[in-house]
Amino acid sequence: MPQGDYIELHRRRHGRRLDHEERLRKREAREPRRIAERSRTLTGIRAKLHNRERFRDKVRLRKAAAVQAQRQARRRQGAGGRDEDGEERRVVEGALPAYLLDREETQRAKILSNTIKEKRKEKGGKWSVPLPRVRPLADDEIFRVVRTGKKSKKREWKRMVTKMSFVGDSYTRKPPKYERFIRPMGLRVKRANVTHPELKATFSLDIIGVKKNPSGPMYTQLGVVTRGTIVEVNVSELGLVTTSGKVVWGKYAQVTNNPEVDGTVNAVLLV
Amino acid sequence: MVVANLKAIQRVPEAADLLDIVLSQTQRKTPTVVHKGYPIQRIRAFYMRKVRYAQSTFHERLSRILSDFPVVDDVHPFYGDLINVLYDRDHYKLALGQVHRARSLMDAVARDYVRLLKYADSLYRAKSLKRAALGRMGTMAKRLAPCLAYLEQVRQHMARLPSIDPNTRTLLVAGAPNVGKSSFLNSVTRADVDVQPYAFTTQSLFVGHMDYHYLRWQVIDTPGVLDRELEQRNTIEMQAITALAHLRAAVLFFVDPSEQCGYPMAQQLRLFHSLRPLFGDKPLLLVCNKVDLGWEHTLDAETWRAVEAAAADTGAELMKMSATGDADRESVYAVRNRACERLLEVRVSQRMTQRRSDAVLNRLHVAMPPQTRPPVIPESVWAARQAQREAGAAAAAVPPPRLTEKQREEQMGGAGVYSMDWRKLYDLRESEWRYDIMPEVVDGKNLADYVDADILERLDALERDEEARLAALEAREGMETEEGEEEQRRARAIVRAATERRILRQRRAARERSQNPSVPPARLRSRSVSSRGPARRHPPGVGVPRSLQTASRPPTAAVALRQVHGVRDMKQAAKARRLFEQSRRKAFASREHRQGEWDRFIAVKKPKHLYAGKMSLGTRHHR
Repeated sequence: MPQGDYIELHRRRHGRRLDHEERLRKREAREPRRIAERSRTLTGIRAKLHNRERFRDKVRLRKAAAVQAQRQARRRQGAGGRDEDGEERRVVEGALPAYLLDREETQRAKILSNTIKEKRKEKGGKWSVPLPRVRPLADDEIFRVVRTGKKSKKREWKRMVTKMSFVGDSYTRKPPKYERFIRPMGLRVKRANVTHPELKATFSLDIIGVKKNPSGPMYTQLGVVTRGTIVEVNVSELGLVTTSGKVVWGKYAQVTNNPEVDGTVNAVLLV
Repeated sequence: MVVANLKAIQRVPEAADLLDIVLSQTQRKTPTVVHKGYPIQRIRAFYMRKVRYAQSTFHERLSRILSDFPVVDDVHPFYGDLINVLYDRDHYKLALGQVHRARSLMDAVARDYVRLLKYADSLYRAKSLKRAALGRMGTMAKRLAPCLAYLEQVRQHMARLPSIDPNTRTLLVAGAPNVGKSSFLNSVTRADVDVQPYAFTTQSLFVGHMDYHYLRWQVIDTPGVLDRELEQRNTIEMQAITALAHLRAAVLFFVDPSEQCGYPMAQQLRLFHSLRPLFGDKPLLLVCNKVDLGWEHTLDAETWRAVEAAAADTGAELMKMSATGDADRESVYAVRNRACERLLEVRVSQRMTQRRSDAVLNRLHVAMPPQTRPPVIPESVWAARQAQREAGAAAAAVPPPRLTEKQREEQMGGAGVYSMDWRKLYDLRESEWRYDIMPEVVDGKNLADYVDADILERLDALERDEEARLAALEAREGMETEEGEEEQRRARAIVRAATERRILRQRRAARERSQNPSVPPARLRSRSVSSRGPARRHPPGVGVPRSLQTASRPPTAAVALRQVHGVRDMKQAAKARRLFEQSRRKAFASREHRQGEWDRFIAVKKPKHLYAGKMSLGTRHHR
């Protein structure tokens, strides 16, 4: 107990006030009333926060209740024997003794379902991707017209890309006069958050290039990154190995979000 | 320095609270209404402001945490080590480091999103970007949760640490558990420390303050230390070790030869030897406590010899004491005084050896007074005394002391019977005036209204002035020449003009008085003759009231100037004056007080153009 802890010191020397327990009990008993009062009277953001808190509490409670119920049910369903109270447990219909469990029947069903799944996968083809269909993007959504030039403002114009775009490190700009598309520096991406679907883990990886933009080959060429775009990412950090034992460093991933709206690129690795 | 800062650290909010604070503050302090139809620049600015505001609020909050908590390397090594012992230096530094990292990450995120917002082309996109930005900052804040919780606990503990000043005069009490360290602190200072008959009652450093030699001293009570390896010592013991290592204090090492504490004497001495490197060259006292239990008679000689040897080895002073035994606590104060003296000696000698002291000593000059300083008695007093001594030897009559008015009152019959005579103390020109009767009211008039204290002086001054002028005139008449005559004529003209002017002025004054008298005219006052008669006869030194004296006063220079300013000669001035008077008289002649040029004049009360017709754009002439 440090020297400055006057409250604790006082409690040790003189104890708590005589009705402390009583007051505590009453305060606890009053708690639901207080919550009810707040639920009735609060408005605006405070009400929102309060309700959210209440909702969380209830979910917690329900989950706990469910777990408890499950536990009890399991105990009740336990094959034969006696439970803690010494009562005989009911035997459920179709129950098997332990030595018959884990037999062929169940395994066969599992195998069957697995093979069906495999077949479906095969049918889908090699290029099935997590996002097979995306909304096509029109030109005027992707490009914005920018007037350029000093003297003849009416005649000269360029197109500015309004979506995120990937521009490789080795890209060399043309002279501004011949540059037809502007890809603004503020909208460029270098890295993507790539999720490995089997590992269920996400990594921030370098983008190597844009493989295909579903909206058109021109966008692929420009390196526009929109939802559904297939990008090539550098997976050397993950340490993936091919069947022949070589380290894989480039892999494709599909973009799953709208980068221009979220500010980041999220992608799923295609395995 | 640091001591104050430890107490002043502000509360560290929990991560969820921090998020709530920042988000609700952003909501409250930034505009909340935006519409799709607004120009896109305005929409962008609206959301950029929100992102920036949230970022700056986070930044501010986290910066305050970083600046509040002391940096381990910057504080006094005593506090640095104490932080290490109590909170684990690595953990502490990591927590602060994470807060710092989160802050810079938040700044980077906000910068990125503000840049992206510049390219937002719709409200939806801008709003989504803002949402993403706040969400990412919020995630970072949530990840700080364990750090913030830890820092809050540290803050609470730090605020309760005793404020120990590492540089001041300090007595440090150390020893094995239960040897009476806290009892000593309680008896020397007013610190109300817990004393219990079991080991490790004191679990942290305690501080008390006392006065010795008109100086403030702090006494630090440390938890008991066990005789074991440094690595095995626990947090409680390590606090004592930290204090011993870093504070330049007088160390009082307590031992209990009665062995009532549960540790044999040999063990206690081993502890003393093992702590020896920490004592360094600090003044050290080996205090044998609990004399009142009578161990002096029962202790075997060998043990006592060992104690003496230990003291001699380390240069410690051996003292016996009883912290609770004797009523007047002589032994306690003896120990305390000895420790204080030794520390003072060391500190002063250290001061003197430091180079800084030279700078002060060079400037100091202590003036020593001459050996004898006889009292200075003035010649006159000396002579008077001498004379008195000569005369008084025979007469031996000392003049009675002056009776005070109070004493006189007592003699003459006390209060109520004797009334004190104040008049004899009046300081007047003639002493016989003291008892003159001074009426306050004469004939129903307040005499004070008629008193003019300096009338005689002014009369004197006037007479002197007149004499001087006459003398000057005579002197000029003495030198009778042509020029003199001319001169004389001119002078006479001036005098005449002045006289005329004075007469004019007097008349005017009389007129004005009659028109606007400061005293009501005679016919309006009481008509009794008796009341009017004697008022004219003023006693000497008591003149007419000031208000009636205006005519006899010389005109001020400003008025005189204004009357002759801009006119050719006296004649013209007089004419101008006359015309002015006439015009004024005309204006005030009749009782109706007709309108004059100085009256406010409004020709038309309701001008038609302001009240007629309807107003349309551009037709307003007046507002």
